[in-house]
Amino acid sequence: MSVQETRRAIKPVSPLREAAQMFCRNRPAIFGTVLLSLIVAAVFYGTFISGADPYEIVWAPQAFPGEAENIPLGTDYMGRDILTGLLKGGGPTIAVGLSAALITVVIGISVGAMAGYFGGWADNALMRFTEFFQVLPALLFAMVLVTLFSPTLTTIAIAIGIVSWPQTARLTRAEFLRIRNLEYVTAARAVGAGNNRIIWRVILPNALPPLIVSATLTIGVAILFEAGLSFLGLGDPNTMSWGLMIGANRSYLLDAWWPVTFPGLAIFLTVLAVSLIGDGLNDAFNPKLRQR
Amino acid sequence: MAYKTNFSEGCPFVTVSQAKQKQTPGTVIEMGNIAMKFSRRLLLNSALAATILAAAPALSHAQDIEPGGSVVVVSTQAPRHLNPAVQSGIATAVPGTQIFASLLKYDENWQPQPYLAESWDVAEDGLSVTITLVEGATFHDGEPITSEDVRFSIMTVRDNHPFQTMFEPVSDVETPDERTAVIKLSKPHPALLLAMSGALLPIIPEHVYGDGQDVQVHPANSAPVGSGPFRLVEFDPGRQITLERYEDFFIEGRPYLDRIVIRIVSDPSSMVLALEAGEADILPFLTASQDIRRLESGEGLAVTNRGYEGIGAINWLAFNTNKAPLDDIRVRQAIAYAIDRDFIVNALHRGVSAPQRGPIVESNPLFNENVEAYDLDLEKATALLDEAGHAPDANGTRFTLTVDYLPGTGEQQQNIAEYLRSQLPKIGIAVEVRASPDFPTWSQRISSFDFDLTMDMVFNWGDPVIGVHRTYLSSNIREGVIWSNTQQYSNDRVDELLEEAAVENDPERRKALYDEFQTIVTDELPVYNINLIPYHTAYDERLGNMPEGIWGLMQSMDEVYWIEQP
Amino acid sequence: MVYLLRRLAFGVLLLAGVVILNFLLIRLAPGDPAAVIAGEMGGASQEVLASIRERYGLDKPLLVQLGIYLSNVVRGDLGESYFFNRPVIDLILSRLGPTILLVMAAQLLAIVLGVFMGVLASLKPQGFLSGFVAVISTVGYAAPVFWTGMMLTILFASIFPILPVEGMSSARFRGGTFDYILNVARHLILPATTLGIIFLAQYARLARAAMIDVLGADYVRTARAKGVPESRVVFKHALRNAVLPILTVAGLQFGNLISGALLVETVFNWPGMGRLAFDSILRRDYPVLLGVLFFSAMMVVLANILTDLSYRLADPRINTEGRS
Repeated sequence: MSVQETRRAIKPVSPLREAAQMFCRNRPAIFGTVLLSLIVAAVFYGTFISGADPYEIVWAPQAFPGEAENIPLGTDYMGRDILTGLLKGGGPTIAVGLSAALITVVIGISVGAMAGYFGGWADNALMRFTEFFQVLPALLFAMVLVTLFSPTLTTIAIAIGIVSWPQTARLTRAEFLRIRNLEYVTAARAVGAGNNRIIWRVILPNALPPLIVSATLTIGVAILFEAGLSFLGLGDPNTMSWGLMIGANRSYLLDAWWPVTFPGLAIFLTVLAVSLIGDGLNDAFNPKLRQR
Repeated sequence: MAYKTNFSEGCPFVTVSQAKQKQTPGTVIEMGNIAMKFSRRLLLNSALAATILAAAPALSHAQDIEPGGSVVVVSTQAPRHLNPAVQSGIATAVPGTQIFASLLKYDENWQPQPYLAESWDVAEDGLSVTITLVEGATFHDGEPITSEDVRFSIMTVRDNHPFQTMFEPVSDVETPDERTAVIKLSKPHPALLLAMSGALLPIIPEHVYGDGQDVQVHPANSAPVGSGPFRLVEFDPGRQITLERYEDFFIEGRPYLDRIVIRIVSDPSSMVLALEAGEADILPFLTASQDIRRLESGEGLAVTNRGYEGIGAINWLAFNTNKAPLDDIRVRQAIAYAIDRDFIVNALHRGVSAPQRGPIVESNPLFNENVEAYDLDLEKATALLDEAGHAPDANGTRFTLTVDYLPGTGEQQQNIAEYLRSQLPKIGIAVEVRASPDFPTWSQRISSFDFDLTMDMVFNWGDPVIGVHRTYLSSNIREGVIWSNTQQYSNDRVDELLEEAAVENDPERRKALYDEFQTIVTDELPVYNINLIPYHTAYDERLGNMPEGIWGLMQSMDEVYWIEQP
Repeated sequence: MVYLLRRLAFGVLLLAGVVILNFLLIRLAPGDPAAVIAGEMGGASQEVLASIRERYGLDKPLLVQLGIYLSNVVRGDLGESYFFNRPVIDLILSRLGPTILLVMAAQLLAIVLGVFMGVLASLKPQGFLSGFVAVISTVGYAAPVFWTGMMLTILFASIFPILPVEGMSSARFRGGTFDYILNVARHLILPATTLGIIFLAQYARLARAAMIDVLGADYVRTARAKGVPESRVVFKHALRNAVLPILTVAGLQFGNLISGALLVETVFNWPGMGRLAFDSILRRDYPVLLGVLFFSAMMVVLANILTDLSYRLADPRINTEGRS
């Protein structure tokens, strides 16, 4: 099904180009892309260009948005500028999201590929191992890992990666199971390609489309995870992040809604953008779904 | 800093929105010897109280009190168990003092009052104290409370409570008859009477706790058989404690309330909401300025800062005096001069907290007000650092320090640490704020001396022997023990003064010793005291006789009643 | 039957693994449990530390401790809380009910509302309701659950103060059983809604996909042609088609529900296991933490087995033995 068959059926158009065209016709996906570009640009500006200090007390505590000229989004419970916090805090949030997704994908694909390709007892063992990680509620397990090994951005990313890879592994395994008996794999084996080559050079490229979609969605999930940990006070306390802003201002919620609302909105929009792109990719790679 | 606010010059001390007075007859203020030593604040409040009492004499008849009703107390503090004999801290103290009676109460003028002890007599030589118990007092299981139980309680607290100084000099308790206990001391111990009040000495039943089990983990700690006005109905750990009136309480007609529910809430804003919505009636240990301000203007609510004199909670910045460059007094003084205490109190805390300059709180009779204030003086601070030989580098930085803080109490701790990060660079000291994710992490760092500066909140606990000595005695530099002398401060004269004061029974001479102590440690700054922690209690103003002694809600609420039931 | 036994046996093995992993993880991590216990008591000397180690068996070699712990767990003894000095099992059991109540209510809400929305969306793909479904779904998917909860708190605490935003029942509450149930139900509305919203989108999507699949199928066309009323078409034919995937997803969501409950319980002060876990982490109350991990893993394992079973019951054609 899907890409491989499409390739053979409709020769003249490259599948990638077709997917790209599909993606470009998908309005929500375009919206997501534009939104994400804007967010990334703002965070880039905050992280690398702006010299503002998100911890600096710039005005009276809990100033209403726009109350003073330079503070369009108001100040938090200490009088720190929320806009600066958003610009500076996005970096760590997105960085953790990306690296956690990367860790997830690396572990998930390795385990899933082995299980799916070799099958038999290897498959059995690896899948039991995967199930083992699936019975622990992810957030709870991540909390334990982060507290035990002190919360830094690195440990948080690793913890999120460790608790999220099983899904990717299952998906990879399913794809490998499907592809490993297709003609061209058998052909590759017949001409003497080794297991390594077949896994990484023959099967994986063909299994990629759903994995790319899943990886994209994982970024969003990881961002939500980081936010949840920071909200509980288990984030890296020395790094401003969106989740941290929400957690720190939580006790003051009744007096000031804005220090909580804006960082939450930032997380929401980022995850939304990422998931719209993910959905768009999914539709683009699976033209059959167009009819739905 | 672009931020300016006009804070009124008004006295920040009186924040009693609704002055309420005890309705029990008796002298309200004894303008004696002791009263002369009282702080401005107490005098002021007492004067206010006297006026109101004079204006409303009709209120002071006990006959008007209609008993009954229940009270909901909300708190973020989850007690481990309910036995204050082996557990310090406010979480256990509030329910613990309702369940267990102490020998004495302390009123708002620091005067001992009879409670389970009908009378007490300190011997001439100060080496023994004779206690007479009230008649007919029983534990909640109906067993009589005897002098044997007093002996057992004192020995249990002496051997198990973290505040070892409270009963350390007690060598024995003799029990000539059922109602008489004679406490024998190895040396005079002026702190003893205070240590017999509030949550410090609950009278616990020997026939329950003396069964040979380790009292630290005794099952009855969570299901106590008490001696106080309320008995435990249900203890749902971390969630709720339900208490009900003990019918055979030893004071006739008390307690007035039928029921007290202590609800544990994880989030301060939920507590505020609960109080505003009438779901809760009493919210003690409030510190966040926005909550205090909000509730002060709340309809039908009263907010007071009374009842926290006993614990005397100080917010301070501690120095690791054993670590360069903080081993140099001039560096510590420079930092003190660079901190704007007024800004902290008035801007960061919006005027709800009061400045604290020395190691003993102002409401304590032993307070000395003639200590160095360290008013903001950046020039002097710079000069001190120059003199100490710390030249600034090209960026204007002389050296870098880390500052830790107790996690979980934003406004008192983290905010000031953040403030230091923006303030100390003005005198060339770069500051890194080192956050701890939880209390154990912080406590581990500080008690193993792995810090430069740390914010901390420490309580006086009434008598300096209990809560102050531990910070300054060089013999109390104990690695691994939090709230000991983790500053590793050592001064022979201070050791001498404290040791003398601990056994000095004459109030005048004792005060003189503590005066000198306060001057020295404020000059040498093992800790820089910042402010009195602005503990406030918010409550439904229809509640009468809210506890106003020095222990506030950490003393029995047997006199509390509903003026008008909700 | 054999299948069930095998699943159960594997579940037990899995749980043993979880216990061993977490036990070792917690003990090997930096930090001294004895110091933590001493700290809770208000500070202690070296002698006290030593006596604490002895009392809690912390002075024995790690593997011996693990062995003791495992044999206790088998006997249903999860140890004693460092903080409360009480049996862990009691603490957990008192918090289990509220969590199950919250999770089930959220799940039910999500399924009912999700299916309803999905059906509506499939019937009128361009309609207003479809748009509404899309919006709610994205919020549920992309908004941090604790943030949604806080926004609802603001809404119902300050703007429309009609629903309680804290706790599971009023502290002042006194009354009969029926009143108590009503009281709890009122407190349940906001937390369950907040938690339910996350999963709403998935069920709506599943229902919508199933509907579109079925509505185009021949037998439905036939039914319609025969004049079977539309509502019957929808509920009899289409929804039945959606039951299996929804059941599967619902079962597999259990772990995620518990994760979400952890955050929701914190926001709404719901006295469940999530809050117990969170508090225990902050207090380094390791026995309770281990107990909560064990219990939540057990709940997930059970949910998975039940899903499998109901799946087989719902569709006997599935040969679970032959599953890869």
